[in-house]
Amino acid sequence: MSLLELKALLPQLLMVLGATVVLVAGAWVRNRRLWLLTGLVLALGAAFIAGTVEPPVAEVAGMFSTSLYARFCTIAWSLVIAATLLLSGRYADLHRYGGGEYTSLLLFAGTGMSLLSAATSFLGLFLSLEAFTLVLYILIAFNRVDNLGAEAGLKYLVFGAVATGFIAFGIALIYTASGTLHIAEALAALQVDGAMRPLGLAGWALMLVAIGFKISLVPFHFWTPDVYQGAPAPVGGVMATAAKGAVLAAFLPLLDGLGVAGGEIKQVLWLLAILTMLVGTFSALSQTNLKRMLAYSSVTHMGYLLIALLIGGADGGQALLFYLVVYSFATFGAFGVITSWALEDGEVQNYDDLRGLGYLHPRRSSALALFMLSLAGVPPLAGFFGKFGIFHAALQHGYLELALIGVFASLVSLYYYLRPIIVLFMQERDAHQLRSGSGEEFVLLAGCCVATLFFGIYPGPLLDLIMTLLP
Amino acid sequence: MIAGSSTQFPLLSLLLWLPLAGVLLCLLLRKSANACRWAALLFNVVLLGIALWIAFSVDTGSSGWLLYEDYSWIERFGIRYTLGLDGISLLLVILTAFLQVIAVLISWQIDYHPAFFYALVLMLGTAVLGVFLALDLVLFYLFWELMLIPMFVLIGVWGQQRRVYAAVKFFFFTLSGSLLMLLAMISLYLLHGDQTGVYTFALDALKQTELSLTQELIFYICFMSAFAVKVPLFPFHAWLPDAHEQAPAAGSVDLAGLVLKTGVYGIIRFAFPLFPNAAEMSLPVLALLALIGLFYAAAIAFKQTNIKRLVAYSSVSHLGFVILGLAAWNQTAWEGSLLLMVNHGITSAALFVMLALVRQRTGSNDLANMGGLWQSQPKMSAFFLLFAMASLGLPGLANFAGEILILIGTFASKPVWASIAVIGVLLSATYMLRLVQGVIWGPCREPMKKEDLLPREWLLLIPLALLVVWLGCYPQPLLDPIREPVTALLQGGRP
Repeated sequence: MSLLELKALLPQLLMVLGATVVLVAGAWVRNRRLWLLTGLVLALGAAFIAGTVEPPVAEVAGMFSTSLYARFCTIAWSLVIAATLLLSGRYADLHRYGGGEYTSLLLFAGTGMSLLSAATSFLGLFLSLEAFTLVLYILIAFNRVDNLGAEAGLKYLVFGAVATGFIAFGIALIYTASGTLHIAEALAALQVDGAMRPLGLAGWALMLVAIGFKISLVPFHFWTPDVYQGAPAPVGGVMATAAKGAVLAAFLPLLDGLGVAGGEIKQVLWLLAILTMLVGTFSALSQTNLKRMLAYSSVTHMGYLLIALLIGGADGGQALLFYLVVYSFATFGAFGVITSWALEDGEVQNYDDLRGLGYLHPRRSSALALFMLSLAGVPPLAGFFGKFGIFHAALQHGYLELALIGVFASLVSLYYYLRPIIVLFMQERDAHQLRSGSGEEFVLLAGCCVATLFFGIYPGPLLDLIMTLLP
Repeated sequence: MIAGSSTQFPLLSLLLWLPLAGVLLCLLLRKSANACRWAALLFNVVLLGIALWIAFSVDTGSSGWLLYEDYSWIERFGIRYTLGLDGISLLLVILTAFLQVIAVLISWQIDYHPAFFYALVLMLGTAVLGVFLALDLVLFYLFWELMLIPMFVLIGVWGQQRRVYAAVKFFFFTLSGSLLMLLAMISLYLLHGDQTGVYTFALDALKQTELSLTQELIFYICFMSAFAVKVPLFPFHAWLPDAHEQAPAAGSVDLAGLVLKTGVYGIIRFAFPLFPNAAEMSLPVLALLALIGLFYAAAIAFKQTNIKRLVAYSSVSHLGFVILGLAAWNQTAWEGSLLLMVNHGITSAALFVMLALVRQRTGSNDLANMGGLWQSQPKMSAFFLLFAMASLGLPGLANFAGEILILIGTFASKPVWASIAVIGVLLSATYMLRLVQGVIWGPCREPMKKEDLLPREWLLLIPLALLVVWLGCYPQPLLDPIREPVTALLQGGRP
């Protein structure tokens, strides 16, 4: 690996070296806030470098791309990590998280995610995917005294290990069929109709199962509600946004590269999209726990994103990335509100405990209501143009049935997105006062609110930016 | 058809965003209920002033857009910020501003989170104005949906016992139709783009799209499913009585006076001109549904014991009349329909104001607990009687002028429909008289909690009463500005 290649990897190096330093130094200096702040600076620095420093080479070690697309993903995931660190300040105090471990783990996760979205080789893809999944196993169970957290961590570990097996075996089959681990070359080899093609497709099928686990598509979604419920709220925010986004962002160019060979894959995706939208929506209906509802909601949103993924190309890619951004702002904001309300003996998640809270904590309740409406796709919030883009792409490419099912699912989904609003604002007050928010929590929530409103009223700049990223 | 220029002062944008500025102010002043009240009133009065000033300063007799604004907005999808005002929109804008003032005045005593309440009322104003002004399909859709949130919260937070049920029902009914409309809009946009190479959501451009009859019918049904729910046309009306029964007074005033009108406006501005052939085919069906609604709602209204539900069903019945006029498809009937829309806006708002005042005195909406209002509150009862008479279509009062024009116009082309509709008018007399009889006359059931009209209530009722009489006797000033647009719509609509 040359020096130039190292320079191209500077943002990731900054995060991963920084994380190591924090981990080691944190063993001596047990100052929680200091390390959170350091992590914040490192993540922001990584985002800044990715945005400003022109990478000198196009590909690092034949494994990671340094395209505009990859750099955008690096910026996005580093910012999510930075936001999580900002959000975690008081939450970490509350649960007496140790010195630097938490910060360091989040930075490792950020590195893994940014490498995953940049992977150009199956090896790089596998390594980076495992890198951040491993970190998440620990982060989910980070509240050591919390039984639900331990259960969630174990559950994710079991499911994740199975997924790892699938993905490794899938890569092996694709390697057997194509003779290369470089994604572009492997895809080109699979274009040719030959004796090896069925083997390659089998490999793809196994990969799809693994992706299904990672971004919780139906029927591989069963871990999602339990893990979201048990994981600390800030970690839940990362899992629902960046962790899924990184996987989707990595597979968007992959599916495009399949070209005509993708026909069979797309049929499977078509079916998965329908199942995911419907099952996710109907499972969310009966939830009485905010985090479980958000889990099923994220399942449903993955179904919408799958529509964009299978359309692919510039139209699908643009719809997917735009949707991912607006979905992430709203979902992360919702987890931010839960974090901000957390008490020492646990997070306030049940609707029963949220009753009438809207008048005790009007700002955060209003923010949560705003995020719910954006997720429901109600104009003039950003979620509306997200859905608009996806339905637009679906109709343009002749997927009328997907658009219709999507519309149906969003109509049903309205019910469970309105429920928190009803509980917060329209039911009798018997909630007790929760924590009053800290300054940094308010800054973060305000940022999510502004983004949710701004991209709903003026989505043009973001759409243009995304257009320049796609090849 | 486009006359005005976009270089002049953006008066329409000012009109549109003024209430939203009021929302922000209310949220800033949330510590003081009184400040919010006065801010909301002030903003709506200024809004009314601007709307009236526009009415007097533009030449309402001219054809084309009286005011027009057009800016680039979201280029990726060809969405533009296009606003246009013609005679029809002008009337509805003035109606909106006027009813918003009434809505603030009737909810003067709200003491449960007043800042949020007034902010939501103002926000609803922006949404309704946007619907009446937008000429880009997506912009229209945005405002169309924006109406839902404030109305949902107004009913859900400030409503009565079953408020959450009513609010959710309202949201679901209206959204389910709208989403189909959204899909139809995008499909139409894609078809137009494939044909011409220009991808745009502009109403005028999309009118030129060449569609097969099947396509037209499918799109038309999608659009109408959104509009018919809002009107509400039989059999899509089930949400309205619940929403009205549970809503606070200002919610009812805005719902009956404004939100229902957006449905009719959507039909004449978007559904008919975009799909003229499908519209032509659908006219008998529309007329049939309108007539069924007219009778069915009147019959149900007669059986109601809750007076708010009774007036809600009367709205369904009257809006059936409006749709019947549209289905007759001629100048007179259309002018009558538009006039009745404005008149019904004022009379139904006036009736809901009266019901709110009655409730403040008797503490109930149930006919069983009422009676003998005239003995203790003669002045208020007089107003009540006047508005009830206007609602049942007494000649010389507001609704009559619209109804008679609809009947004349309909009789000219479809005498059978008109003959049946006349019986409907008779039915509206029966339930209205039952309302008047139950509330005003009879023995006094309960001691009144308040004295006869307060000064603020006089201020509220006198303009309404004057309007009801004026519009009944001399509706010509309202008919002048809509003549040209109606002619244009009728010609442009049908090939």
